[in-house]
Amino acid sequence: MKNVAFGQYYPADSPLHRMDPRAKVILAILYIVCTFLCKNAISFACLVLSALVLVVLSHLPLRLILRSMRPILFIIVFTSVINIFMTKGEHLLTPADWRIKIYAEGLWNALFMVLRISALILGTGIFLTYTTTPIALTDALERLLSPLKKIKIPVHDFAMMMTIALRFIPTLTEETEKIMNAQRARGASFSTGSLINRAKALIPILIPLFVSAFNRAFDLASAMECRCYHGDEGRTRLKVLHYRASDLVAVLLMLSFGVGVFFLNRLGIGPHLS
Amino acid sequence: MDKIRLENVSYVYNRGLPFEQVALDNVSLSIRAGCVTGIIGHTGSGKSTMMQLLNGLAEPTSGRVFLDGYDINAKAEDLYEEWSALPEYAHLSKGARKKAIRREVARRRAELCFRVGLVMQYPEYQLFEETVEKDIAFGPRNMKLSEEEIGLRVREAARFAGLDEELLQKSPFDLSGGQKRRVALAGVIAMRPEVLVLDEPAAGLDPAGRTRILDGILRYQRTTGSTVLIVSHSMEDMARYCDDVVVMGDARVLMQGERREIFSHTQELTDAGLDIPQITHLVRLLRERGVPLPENIYTVEDAVLAVQALFAE
Amino acid sequence: MPELFIHTEDLCFTYDAEGPDAQPALKGITLDIYKGEYVAVLGHNGSGKSTFAKLLNLLLEPTSGRLTVAGMDLTAPSIGEKELLELRRNVGMVFQNPDNQLVATIVEEDVAFGPENLGIPHPELRTRVDEALEALDMTAYAQHEPHRLSGGQKQRVAIAGILAMMPKCIVFDEATAMLDPSGRREVLRTLRMLNREFGITILNITHYMNEAAEADRVIVINDGTLLADGTPDEVFAQRQRLCEVGLEVPQCTELLCRLREAGIDIPGERISSAESCADLIVAALGRHAEKGGKCHG
Repeated sequence: MKNVAFGQYYPADSPLHRMDPRAKVILAILYIVCTFLCKNAISFACLVLSALVLVVLSHLPLRLILRSMRPILFIIVFTSVINIFMTKGEHLLTPADWRIKIYAEGLWNALFMVLRISALILGTGIFLTYTTTPIALTDALERLLSPLKKIKIPVHDFAMMMTIALRFIPTLTEETEKIMNAQRARGASFSTGSLINRAKALIPILIPLFVSAFNRAFDLASAMECRCYHGDEGRTRLKVLHYRASDLVAVLLMLSFGVGVFFLNRLGIGPHLS
Repeated sequence: MDKIRLENVSYVYNRGLPFEQVALDNVSLSIRAGCVTGIIGHTGSGKSTMMQLLNGLAEPTSGRVFLDGYDINAKAEDLYEEWSALPEYAHLSKGARKKAIRREVARRRAELCFRVGLVMQYPEYQLFEETVEKDIAFGPRNMKLSEEEIGLRVREAARFAGLDEELLQKSPFDLSGGQKRRVALAGVIAMRPEVLVLDEPAAGLDPAGRTRILDGILRYQRTTGSTVLIVSHSMEDMARYCDDVVVMGDARVLMQGERREIFSHTQELTDAGLDIPQITHLVRLLRERGVPLPENIYTVEDAVLAVQALFAE
Repeated sequence: MPELFIHTEDLCFTYDAEGPDAQPALKGITLDIYKGEYVAVLGHNGSGKSTFAKLLNLLLEPTSGRLTVAGMDLTAPSIGEKELLELRRNVGMVFQNPDNQLVATIVEEDVAFGPENLGIPHPELRTRVDEALEALDMTAYAQHEPHRLSGGQKQRVAIAGILAMMPKCIVFDEATAMLDPSGRREVLRTLRMLNREFGITILNITHYMNEAAEADRVIVINDGTLLADGTPDEVFAQRQRLCEVGLEVPQCTELLCRLREAGIDIPGERISSAESCADLIVAALGRHAEKGGKCHG
């Protein structure tokens, strides 16, 4: 457990990895909008194509991407079933005397919904988790949301909390493991007994963990004070983010993709989402 | 008589993953019963991993760990043949025998953590109860002992660890660092383990705190005749408290034997990345300048005697 | 005449001063520390030595007495936010647990944390971070995650983070207590280097005698008062007093003292390091042999 990286960041050197994290947040939002714009077979075909392009550009192994789909498998199956059996249309596929009626429109709807959900997961995954470290993402969000500071929303404080949380997750994970081992060595058992007993068995872990987390928080606060932390007033940043031409091109491409999809939907060719 | 024996034990973290790490590489060693054995080595030499194998918290990737000659990770199926001949199983039918053996293996497994007490590094971070007394009682309570017996053991353990009776009703969180450490030690001693394994018991304590906790450990060992293993990188403490020494380095056992024997290999110990005590360093400086002192001096007491002898000539 | 850096007069601090469980931690400390000194502050747990450290950059405020640091009177009512930042820039502090003082998830960003707070602009910010990492020999780890480093390396990152603020003084509050011997050696080497090469005033709060022996000056605090103050040789010569308050002396000093108690004549004052002790013993043995030779002859 010690060595499992937090988050699902996959280190690689791809055009998407190199992109400015702020651009990636914008792209992810645009991509989500695009998936919802798609209405007919042609636009969905384009969506599939764009997803493939993203996968290629990200240099991620296909295995990883397929694995990321596993948690939503249930949702995919569920929406497919609902769509297949509940959609009414004009082209009945089952014999007319069957109680269960399946229409061609239902099948198309199911396919479209599956594509939409998959693209949604894939797009946000590729832009925001696999090619962007959580810390870069936090940083990007802080900077993108910084106009909100004007209306007294503590964007910096939230970002700092997020950063510290990310910094301490591995430390506290390790600590939890140590405490569990220490209590196991005193004969504690965490996996047997009734639900109430199991909940009780957590006390010897949770109390030391909280005590230590508070101590760490206290120490950290002192250390931060010693290093002159006083909020973001007058604070500079080591990491300077620069939008590059390629970031702009990517955003423009994504925008034109959206516009393209919008017009493709107007074409009355082929089956469309009903 | 060997209390503990490791046979070709290897332990690999994250096996098959890119960050695979060999913590123990084909380690074989034996620990004498009733002795204090020091396990010494630099950080990452595998010594902390080894102690988790001794009470079943971790199972070796390969190899076997014996406690009193019994393989602590043995499976009931593997023991079936051998044990069938024993009088307590021989008379049973095949099915009943299998069941009885399985029950016995499970029982031994469950009692392992009480027989081999483990005190982890910075154990004060595991305290959680409202009072010191309740915290020390956690182990004995998990052993399902009677209330009377638990009370007895808590008091006994507190005495061994050098904790005053009046501390028992206090909250463990109100104590000093050294006291907390000794409460944690008492929490393990209260299970009356036959083998007491400690990972850096004195780390971070001031001189008085160090002496107090190490004396407590020794008091328990001397009174009960139990076997003690101390994992440490302090050769000064080893020189003062241990009968036997095991030197680890890069996941292997480099040397093992009686303290005098091991500590005469000054050069090898330095090569293993260990910090030799200052007194040994001084003796070495004196030898380099032609003062006829023996090489293996590791305590101030020995040095006083040796230098006194020089002046007596 | 060296420049005065820290000046205290009857400095007192009481935890929970107004509360029912008021606990005096410092009971009147008067001392001067000069610029560029390397001072070890010794004392057992609970002696008040850490409290003393925390007063120096106003993590705690003195209950009474006077405290002047870098020409700034810290007990004056005029100390505001601006003065506080200036003080903390001047007096950096490194703590015991290396895990609890690193803020960022990347080494170089953590080193940058202090200067960022001070509002140091680019490109100076970048230079400071690079130079601090270079000085601590951690350049190769600039992009690493702190939680994957060894204890000694983490402490060096923490020190780099302080160094990047360009302080005049660094206080090490038991910064080696949780490290293994090699980590401790790493940090001690760093202390010496910071003192010699950067001229930084060093206060090393510790309970390891061998560490104290490396300093130019040793201050012993016991029960909130000053017990001893002098060079390591002078302080360790008071072995009996140190032992009475639960401290030890280095093994070499111990050896020499015990030999002297046994009636062996080993004169000399430099008793705190193995090298100087070896000198003294060799010299004494030489004299002993001479005398013996004369007798026999």
